[in-house]
Amino acid sequence: MVEVVEAVKKFQKELNAGTSALVLLEVMDRASEPMYGYQIAKLIEARSRDVDIMKQGALYPVLRSLEAEGLLTSRVEPSVSSPPRRYYTITDAGRETLVRWREIWTQTRDLVDAVFTGGNDDQQR
Amino acid sequence: MINSVEEYLAELKQELAGSDRATIQDALADAEEYLRTALSNAPAGTSEADALASVLGKYGTPAEVAAAYRQIESRTAPAFAARVQAEPAVLPAPAAARDTRHPLVRFFGVFAEPRAWGSFLYLLLAMVTGIIYFTWVVTGISVTGSLLVLIVGLPLAALFLLSVRGIALAEGRLVEALLGVRMPRRARFAGKTGIWQGFKNLVTDSHTWLSMVYMLLQMPLGVAYFSVFVTLVSVALGLIVWPIVAIATGLPVLVTSAHEYYAGGLLIPIGIVAGGLLLTATMHLAKAAGRAHGALAKAMLVRL
Repeated sequence: MVEVVEAVKKFQKELNAGTSALVLLEVMDRASEPMYGYQIAKLIEARSRDVDIMKQGALYPVLRSLEAEGLLTSRVEPSVSSPPRRYYTITDAGRETLVRWREIWTQTRDLVDAVFTGGNDDQQR
Repeated sequence: MINSVEEYLAELKQELAGSDRATIQDALADAEEYLRTALSNAPAGTSEADALASVLGKYGTPAEVAAAYRQIESRTAPAFAARVQAEPAVLPAPAAARDTRHPLVRFFGVFAEPRAWGSFLYLLLAMVTGIIYFTWVVTGISVTGSLLVLIVGLPLAALFLLSVRGIALAEGRLVEALLGVRMPRRARFAGKTGIWQGFKNLVTDSHTWLSMVYMLLQMPLGVAYFSVFVTLVSVALGLIVWPIVAIATGLPVLVTSAHEYYAGGLLIPIGIVAGGLLLTATMHLAKAAGRAHGALAKAMLVRL
């Protein structure tokens, strides 16, 4: 059983590595104004309907790396009651990248769906 | 079991030991932003411990979070490490990250930088604020000091010390607005304490006394800033305008006991170039002095 649990965890982790970047970039593309980490995490939490797929703490490093890659920019703003916040905005390069990522995502999803619902290939032939 | 945000941060730091320093700093800043914001948004009625437990559950354990940062770091190491060298104390100015502009553009571009103009304005204002602060502190100390032998001296001293904290906060706002150095937005008070305890806190807090020293220092510094910059700007403007005026009015540009020197036409472009260069250099000096003063204000007015 330990192997199964480990394998499930590993699969989830590897899947998250790619999808979290896609999700974050999509969220930032739809955002009408710069957002800071907590806002983004809450928005994603609201979308995820009680499925605890991703720890919110794992989103922050992805934001940082998206910025390092030039897909997001950020600026730090002091806030009244809490520590300074880093507000992120999507860049033009980020928007262009997102268009391609969406294509790849659609293709991947279609492939996985096709395999799942394809029934028995031997019989179809 | 983690009982406070500080404890969580300490554990996260431990988990990240060995990682790049900038990564650690990022991770701690991110965690603090999330945890504090989440805690302040916790639904009313939940106990503090419950709120913390639920927030930490969503954020992830220090080990999980540290693993996420390490994974990202290993994937994007070079750019990641180069970019986030120590979090700057100064808010990132538009061109602060890495200035790739041509040196000439960078030199003259200073006129387009709000930070340079902000610094310039602040340095001129510093004389006015400096005189006000100095007078206030000297008057306050002598009046309350001499009245302390009477019982009325005590409330007066308390009011004076409070006013120092208030002025320090206001000065911080001015520094942040004009010099772009992040300063505190609200005074730190130790919560609900009695009047007497509050007074003792004011007196024993080094922040109060450092603020007072800063206020005293502000006058000589302000006078120095004012004289240096007014002199530099007048000389620069003089260089530009004087040859033109001299030629237009036929007055000599320079008179010694023996000779009168008159301007030739060539003096106009020379004066304009020299004056322009001096003016630009002055703006750079203002920017640098503003940054230095910002660091001083941060060191003296922000209690660590």
